[in-house]
Amino acid sequence: MFQYDFMQHAFIAGTLIAMMCGVIGVFIIARSLSFIAHTLSHIGFAGAAFSAYAGIDPLLGLLLFTIAGAVGVGQLGVRMYRRDASISVILSLALGLGILFLSLGNIQGNYSRTLLFGSVVGIDMQDIWQIVLITVLVLVVLAVGYRWLKFDSFDQVGAQSAGLPIRLISIGFLLLMAAATSVTVQIVGALLVFALMTVPAAAARFYTQSIFGMILISTLIAVLSVWFGLIAGYYTNAPISFFIVFFNAISYFFGMFFHRVRERRRVLAP
Amino acid sequence: MLRQLQIHQLQVRFNGEQILNDLSFKVAPGELFAIIGPNGAGKSTLLKSILGLIHPQQGDVSILGDHRKVIVGYVPQSRVIDDETPISASDFVSLGQISGFLPWLSRKEKKALNEIMQFTDTKRLANKPIGTLSGGERQRVFLAQALVRKPDLLLLDESTANLDPEAQIQMMELVKNAAKEWGVTALFICHDLQMVGTYADHVLLLSRQGYKTGHPEDILHDRKLMTTVFHGSSSENGTMHHVPTESELPLAGFPQ
Repeated sequence: MFQYDFMQHAFIAGTLIAMMCGVIGVFIIARSLSFIAHTLSHIGFAGAAFSAYAGIDPLLGLLLFTIAGAVGVGQLGVRMYRRDASISVILSLALGLGILFLSLGNIQGNYSRTLLFGSVVGIDMQDIWQIVLITVLVLVVLAVGYRWLKFDSFDQVGAQSAGLPIRLISIGFLLLMAAATSVTVQIVGALLVFALMTVPAAAARFYTQSIFGMILISTLIAVLSVWFGLIAGYYTNAPISFFIVFFNAISYFFGMFFHRVRERRRVLAP
Repeated sequence: MLRQLQIHQLQVRFNGEQILNDLSFKVAPGELFAIIGPNGAGKSTLLKSILGLIHPQQGDVSILGDHRKVIVGYVPQSRVIDDETPISASDFVSLGQISGFLPWLSRKEKKALNEIMQFTDTKRLANKPIGTLSGGERQRVFLAQALVRKPDLLLLDESTANLDPEAQIQMMELVKNAAKEWGVTALFICHDLQMVGTYADHVLLLSRQGYKTGHPEDILHDRKLMTTVFHGSSSENGTMHHVPTESELPLAGFPQ
């Protein structure tokens, strides 16, 4: 399997993206931004479709649209944006725009499928360097702002009263989400970014009570899911995204079961 | 350590309504300063103005420290904590340790965390998820988080309101000990006037009509003043113990 360049590239890119999603996902879940992540990935789809129509680099279009989306959400206020109605309007508008750009550019069906469901086959060294750059950038910013972000994500009242700039943290985090979404869309597709960004983190909450532990477990689940997806996809020819989501879902439900058993033991303990 | 907290001619308007009007008072370092008054008198607005979360239309809040920037700790009445919130009590307390740049805690910070959890008797809760703690235990964890940075000024916004009498006393004893051991100055909003009489060094009685500061015995024993503020009319009857707590008072006429 590793004799093929495309598989080597897929493993490098997939591992980096999974690490980034595993870390950022813990904060997405803590800040209840799962559906904003989902919306950003659809905005990313519109951005990638626009790139194809305008003939520019797909990552550039993705970044332009998702960053504009993140700034828009920041200006609108996350609380207002979280409302069901706002999410449905923006999400469907983004999908509509994506379809429009694909149609205007007379883009072939294969490319649309890649945008929606992802592809690891076409990753070249230039893509890998882009992914390395954005992953390192996102992880470094998360590490530097870790304490502030952690405080604001898990206890906003405390963070605000401690004098932290919560609006700046909120907008900064949305921008990081935009960057992370832009690179992830290229691998797992717009429809499944959501799964890689939120499911490992949601599952990690069942296994540990430490925030740092959640980050480690979430990253581990995300990386293992990508490896499982790539290996299973290679040997079965079935879509890799399916195996990634399947592994994450199993981790989540197993975690739920593990948590229940542990809670029952805790309640019954003398 | 706090050198002085001075509120000078503070005026706060909110939605066209005057909440605080020309309020001035001083708080001495290391004292326990109670804020009492009916609902809608502006007690929480005052604390939020001191925290810098509300900007006054006029006047100012001056907080002077000794050598460094004054650190303020805040304990609200309650926080919305989802029962499913999985993070442990020690992680929750540690959220307050924001001054370092590294993602992990230094040895000094671990020592400070351990010390504060022992002080607030939350060490035994360290590994329990915050969502599974009782109201009293949570309030102690919130207090521990506010104290973990060794604040110069501690603000407690009705933080004993939902606790049973024993837990209320435990909380106030912790605040008193923090003031004694570390010289923390504490401002606390409290509805229980007996608790105010027991723990406060000075009291601010706040109402929409005006305010008065003084020693607890001077304020709480002034029956005419207390009845005017809480009932809106003057009366010469009753002693301090008969002064009703806020929950027993008619609230008509006081905006929520």
